[in-house]
Amino acid sequence: MVERRKHPTTRGFDDSMAGKRAECDGGGQLPGMKFGVRHEFAGVLTGDYIDHGDPPWRWFLMRDLYLKPDGWAQDEVWCESQMVWLVEE
Amino acid sequence: MAKDPLRTPFCEMMGIEFPILAFTHCKDVVAAVVNAGGFAVLGEAMHTPEEIEADINWIRSRVGDKPFGIDLVLPASAPGAESVEDILAKIPAEQKAFADHIKKKYDVPDPKSAEALHQWGGLNQEIARAQIDVILDTKVPVFVSGLGSPAFMIPAAHERGMKVFGLVGKARQAEREIASGVDVVIAQGYDAAGHTGNIGTFSVVGEVCAVAGDIPVIAAGGITTGKHLAAALCLGAQGVWTGTQWLASRESDVDMIMKEKLTKITADDTTYSKSVSGFPMRVTKCPWTEEWASKDAPKTLPSPYQMLLSSSYTQAANDHRREDLMYDAAGQGVRFVTELKPARQIVFDMVEEALETFEAITGAEA
Repeated sequence: MVERRKHPTTRGFDDSMAGKRAECDGGGQLPGMKFGVRHEFAGVLTGDYIDHGDPPWRWFLMRDLYLKPDGWAQDEVWCESQMVWLVEE
Repeated sequence: MAKDPLRTPFCEMMGIEFPILAFTHCKDVVAAVVNAGGFAVLGEAMHTPEEIEADINWIRSRVGDKPFGIDLVLPASAPGAESVEDILAKIPAEQKAFADHIKKKYDVPDPKSAEALHQWGGLNQEIARAQIDVILDTKVPVFVSGLGSPAFMIPAAHERGMKVFGLVGKARQAEREIASGVDVVIAQGYDAAGHTGNIGTFSVVGEVCAVAGDIPVIAAGGITTGKHLAAALCLGAQGVWTGTQWLASRESDVDMIMKEKLTKITADDTTYSKSVSGFPMRVTKCPWTEEWASKDAPKTLPSPYQMLLSSSYTQAANDHRREDLMYDAAGQGVRFVTELKPARQIVFDMVEEALETFEAITGAEA
């Protein structure tokens, strides 16, 4: 039987990302359903990030969303770092 | 003798006979397809690490050293957390009343058991990470990331001799996943079942092939027949990712009522509806989707509110096996699912039809 391990989470702030406009090709599994869903977001990165586990799985916080899916009720989103594209200004 | 058009570099890479990938939530289908010379991937997003490990052991006992894959829906974005009670309290009276109206009109009974939904959303990667730990520790031949980027775990997978496939809906996602080291890219189009990207299969496969270089591209979305397989190879793909036809295979654990329903419907009997989850999702039409599409219906709610509204109907339909109420996710190729066949036969029929198609085009015997 594979042993369950704990994965430490660390929070941080990346000054180089703070205030940058970005797009996120997001999505995830719908709770209680076997299906995933793709979501597109665009907004401003706050610079806040969370690293989950080792090697780190990094997530950036995006606010001031000016593009979000119809079904998205919230005003912020955490974006997986590899699915974030900075918008050239 | 002409070169076998189905013997693609992907087949060589994986040591398989046919470039057909079956995506399924049923491990019996995985074993049957792998033993028939194809490749199969078990969707495990809903399962605990312990269940995943048991499934992997079961599949290995049936297929030996032949390769197979495990798919997880890695998150790519996450909302803040809310409790189910908080969400239920926010559902407007108008939509709640409409859901009750549907239940009354179609005599929808109460579900036999309530769904165990305690927490909605939230940035909780611990579950995905625990699932990935099992996949790495058991050295599954292939890990498939069904949505988010697998970049963070690719080095660990490669160290263990595993391969990593990434499923994408856009060329830029493919470019980034290739840069991070994925071994195969699956390009999925709008024709697919469930929640899809917004680019059609022909377009997205072509776009991804154009940026993939030597990395094999697998086509996904609405692919059901041998002719589809031949077309995908002509686009530059090295194989096809298929889903709907396995739902109706003999080995599938889908309810027999739903299987028979799938053999009778066409693409027109599917709908891209927000009524189930709050997001557009391709499913077979049912009273729930049709009522919400009517002119008297209120606006569907955002997710997760709409999903909580629909969950009672969905569970009741399945618990009580009501054919008139049941639905499932199905791709636009569902018209070509016309009979309940063993998975092995589905593989062979696709291969035969693809070879006939190439022969008809080239005039040469493949």
